[in-house]
Amino acid sequence: MTETSDRGEGPPRVAQLRPGLWDTVNERYPGSMIDKADFVPLAPLRKPLSECRLAFVSTSGTQPRGSLPFDTVHPVGDYSFRRVPTTSRTDELEIHQLKYPTASANRDLNVIFPIDRLRELADEGVIGGLTENFYTFIGYNMDPERLERTLAEDIATAISEEGADIALAAPA
Amino acid sequence: MALDVTEHAKPPRAVFLPWMMGHHFGVPFHRDLQRRVIMECLGFLESAERSGEVRTLPIPWVQARREGIEIERRLGLRP
Repeated sequence: MTETSDRGEGPPRVAQLRPGLWDTVNERYPGSMIDKADFVPLAPLRKPLSECRLAFVSTSGTQPRGSLPFDTVHPVGDYSFRRVPTTSRTDELEIHQLKYPTASANRDLNVIFPIDRLRELADEGVIGGLTENFYTFIGYNMDPERLERTLAEDIATAISEEGADIALAAPA
Repeated sequence: MALDVTEHAKPPRAVFLPWMMGHHFGVPFHRDLQRRVIMECLGFLESAERSGEVRTLPIPWVQARREGIEIERRLGLRP
């Protein structure tokens, strides 16, 4: 494992395989990257995990076969989202996204969209259940303020209406 | 995948995985690893003490990939 101690204090950092990603993208597309000034307050868990309904939110571009494909070539991005029923089999889903390697996900979708593993954890009672749908969009969006104002708010509202207690978000 | 992007976005909790993009939950057919990533995230929900903490799953990419290859061999998916 590659490790660095560039902070000079605390535990060593584990290096990401592709360093400098934020700087690279921000130089090419100024203002396109999320850059928050402060941390949001930590929301404590209010009940045991075994009683919590989980929502999964993914930027993987996973969507039900036959649904309107994400617009992966729009110059400013696609600010829409898709609902993926949590009862879906993996062969009922497909990926529309160009910004990350999908070869492995096309062989086993669970590497990017772990719907089978999450269903197993719900069936075993490790978590209390799943929302009716998982939510997906694509990560290529050039306007982070618009993303926060529209897409993020819309998905947050939707998963709240589905009774989510906890959310697992995986940027792709 | 991208710790620097995570640090700019400042989520209240995050688990950093030092793996290839497109493999946030591991490698194909490696159910135990996929599950371990999720369990690490769920455990963090219970144990987080302050906003902004980033934890790391200390499994290098080479190990995840090697284990995945072995699993695929056992499943007859590769020679």
